[in-house]
Amino acid sequence: MSEILRVEHLKKFFDVPAGTLHAVDDVSFTIQEGQTLGVVGESGCGKSTLGRTVLKLIEPTSGKIFFEGRDITDISKHENRELRKKMQIIFQDPFSSLNPRFCVSDLIADPLKTFGMYGKKELEERVLEIMDLVGLSRRYAYSYPHELDGGRRQRIGIGRALALDPEFIVCDEPVSALDVSIQAQILNLLQDLQDKRKLTYIFVTHDLSVVKHISTDIMVMYIGVMVEKCPAKELFARPLHPYTKGLLSAIPVPNIHHEQKRVQLQGELSSPIDPAEECRFVKRCPYATDICRCKQPTYEEVTPGHFVSCHNVREINGL
Amino acid sequence: MSLLEIRDLTIQYKTRKSVVEAVNGINLKIDEGKTLGLVGETGAGKTTTALGILGLVPNPPGVIAGGEIYFEGKDLLKAKDSEIRKIRGNKISMIFQDPMTALNPVIRVGDQIAEVIALHSGCSKSEASAKSIEMLELVGIRAERSTEYPHQFSGGMKQRVVIAMALACQPKLLIADEPTTALDVTIQAQVLEMMNDLKVRLNTSMLLITHDLGIVAETCDDVAIMYAGQIVEYGTLAHIFDNPMHPYTIGLFGSIPSLDKDVDRLTPIPGLMPDPANLPKGCNFCERCTRKCDRCAESEPEYLEVEPGHFVRCSNLNGGAENV
Amino acid sequence: MFRTKKQKEELANDLVALSKKNTRTADILSRLVRNKLGMLGMIIIAILLILVIFAPVFTDYPYDAQSFPDRFINPCWEHPLGTDNFGRDLWSRMLYGGRISLLVSLVAIIISSAVGITVGAIAGFFGGRIDNVITRILDILMAIPALLMAIAVSSALGTGPMKTALAIAISGIPYSARVMRSTVLTIKDNEYIEAAQATGSTNARTIFKHVLPNTIAPLIVSATLDIGGNIMAISGLSFIGLGVQAPTPEWGSILSAGREFLRDFPPIVIFPALFIGLTLFGFNILGDALRDALDPRLKD
Repeated sequence: MSEILRVEHLKKFFDVPAGTLHAVDDVSFTIQEGQTLGVVGESGCGKSTLGRTVLKLIEPTSGKIFFEGRDITDISKHENRELRKKMQIIFQDPFSSLNPRFCVSDLIADPLKTFGMYGKKELEERVLEIMDLVGLSRRYAYSYPHELDGGRRQRIGIGRALALDPEFIVCDEPVSALDVSIQAQILNLLQDLQDKRKLTYIFVTHDLSVVKHISTDIMVMYIGVMVEKCPAKELFARPLHPYTKGLLSAIPVPNIHHEQKRVQLQGELSSPIDPAEECRFVKRCPYATDICRCKQPTYEEVTPGHFVSCHNVREINGL
Repeated sequence: MSLLEIRDLTIQYKTRKSVVEAVNGINLKIDEGKTLGLVGETGAGKTTTALGILGLVPNPPGVIAGGEIYFEGKDLLKAKDSEIRKIRGNKISMIFQDPMTALNPVIRVGDQIAEVIALHSGCSKSEASAKSIEMLELVGIRAERSTEYPHQFSGGMKQRVVIAMALACQPKLLIADEPTTALDVTIQAQVLEMMNDLKVRLNTSMLLITHDLGIVAETCDDVAIMYAGQIVEYGTLAHIFDNPMHPYTIGLFGSIPSLDKDVDRLTPIPGLMPDPANLPKGCNFCERCTRKCDRCAESEPEYLEVEPGHFVRCSNLNGGAENV
Repeated sequence: MFRTKKQKEELANDLVALSKKNTRTADILSRLVRNKLGMLGMIIIAILLILVIFAPVFTDYPYDAQSFPDRFINPCWEHPLGTDNFGRDLWSRMLYGGRISLLVSLVAIIISSAVGITVGAIAGFFGGRIDNVITRILDILMAIPALLMAIAVSSALGTGPMKTALAIAISGIPYSARVMRSTVLTIKDNEYIEAAQATGSTNARTIFKHVLPNTIAPLIVSATLDIGGNIMAISGLSFIGLGVQAPTPEWGSILSAGREFLRDFPPIVIFPALFIGLTLFGFNILGDALRDALDPRLKD
């Protein structure tokens, strides 16, 4: 197994009228080939921006991105375009992410036409193959997105992402807009495709049960910073960061015998615009101490493979 | 008698070309102080049911084609418009999914709540605004924020304002349509806890519409599972969660990734919900069912009480074995 | 990609099915033809065009033949629409006048839409500084009333049908660019634009394949509405001695010249108004039908 993506101290700031918005603030991680990194967090935590920056759809403010060992942080427009063949994205909204004037086969063929791949006949064959692959019946080849339901639309989006035969895909909340029974179909499809095509995923979502199901590793983000990263099972068995603990216990569990030990988080997310030099979580943290109010915690490996950024992580967890 | 009792309610949307059977003969009952969870997927008819209770089904194209809705012993479908207007907002109020659009952006939140109170109780303006501050404090918003405008509140706080407004007249029944779907998990937990707490303190009954079985497990007393306009299973929390009988209910549980157990693959329900304008002749779930038999496609299953208080609409409860 | 024999056969069958499918253009046309109102518009415009293009076939009188004794004749067999204050046959003036009115206003629409679409699309799509500069320039141009602008351009260019068309087109550019820019801004917000770029689509390709086709509806509406305004603008220019020179007829100026005789001899106003109205009506309903036919979401 080899490393496919390495991100070092990635930052993405946006200038907004009120100041500088720290959407992604010093994030580092690596992903091994064929694995899935789940990125979870609440709305506005920068998880979608992270996904797009890693793909180089947005230029990072600083930091380095290595894809298959190559530094792709500063590449030419042409190289960036070539990179699209290897890195793709699946969008959240199966309604607005499909051009309403394109029929299914056009939508899936569009990336191939962009690169002028295949002749007319081969192109048609290829499109039908992809439709088979994502479980779209061929009779929908000339249907328009508005004629199909959310699940099928999302299959089109997945087909479009797979058309160029990429190795790495960012899934940006691909099942959030779907009903549970359809959601399960799409999750299974994504897993099957991963097995068949040796795909590597970054799976961005706010849904913790989904991320647990599909991920190898999970990274928890909070207002632009990563607060905890470790293997999926470990995170649910032994969350170390106080935010993760609160987040996990806040999920309503569909089991009436589930023992609720709720760590209720008070308050709401603070603003990501010009954040003060303090732990981003300090205002909601039940364990906050003086050091949390004057210094941002650094990211450290607390136990093997388990990274946390919290000043008091050892005291809180009795390590 | 229960606070709310719905019998054989049928609501249709009639267009030139087709008749959409949004709600198809449902029976529901909510006792005083209890919460009923109405669970189902998009298009199952949950919201139409809620609008039906409030007399707000858009007409045209919506028509209440039959049934009775008894509220405090009175049939709302036979009541005059003026009577329903008095009940709506006063004795029954509703919380919508999106708190952003439920508030008027140019009126201070305190005034918006006071307006509702003044309208229904007929008290003076100063009394109403004192009461509105009381309501805001009840939902955990400091009194001084009552002079702020909606855009100054975050999503979770806005939903609290909406809840305060809905509870302002101390309704007997609160209809909450996906009240926390637009909120983040940690905020959702806060709002749900607050709603649970208020429900007990004010002895309000609640109809909670949701697609999230986790929320149901935490807040409801009874559960109704809705599919293609029908209630396919109805019972107490224990009935539904410990002994689900309808294949659709079982399928729903199989579709949710579990936090407790490690499952490699989910077992989704295959296929899609049938087109409500073109429902099959027999059981609506037949197409997607794992234990269907010939009879399912032919005749609609009966709504049977399989144990006291536990109703299921399925002809093959024993896995279809009796049919072989 | 590996495939079994059976799969290959299926694929072949499917490919045959695909080739039988109507092409997109045929699809759009068939939808257009099925729209009754749209067909009515098409027929109206076709009749008008045939009448004006083959004007000599349909009338025996030259448009400028004056005859003093024949002034103000009511519609009769000899003069289907009557005669005007110089005794000229109104029917032939309408037909020849239509050449100028229709041609000039259509050319003006095409020019102003083409430039407006390009400028507006660039401003809306790229945003930022480019958008700022373009928008400010458009603002300045819009501060000058359109007719005044047309007068200024027209007096610089001189008279003649094509020069008039150009003058009117230039005065219309800021408006069509504005419509285009705001439409592009809303289209650009859709995720499918980002999706196109994520699949390596170049800016030009994204604009032509994904943005422009989705801006058609508001463009068609504004363009068909502008046709009427343009016909009147021509007459405005002609009135002050720019535009088309008398005695060359043109609907707008027949209408405005006839105003003073409205009370005594209504046909001189009614007929040009009727022709302008019919043109507007025809283009509007045809435009609506075209918009619907081009939108797959409205497919029956």
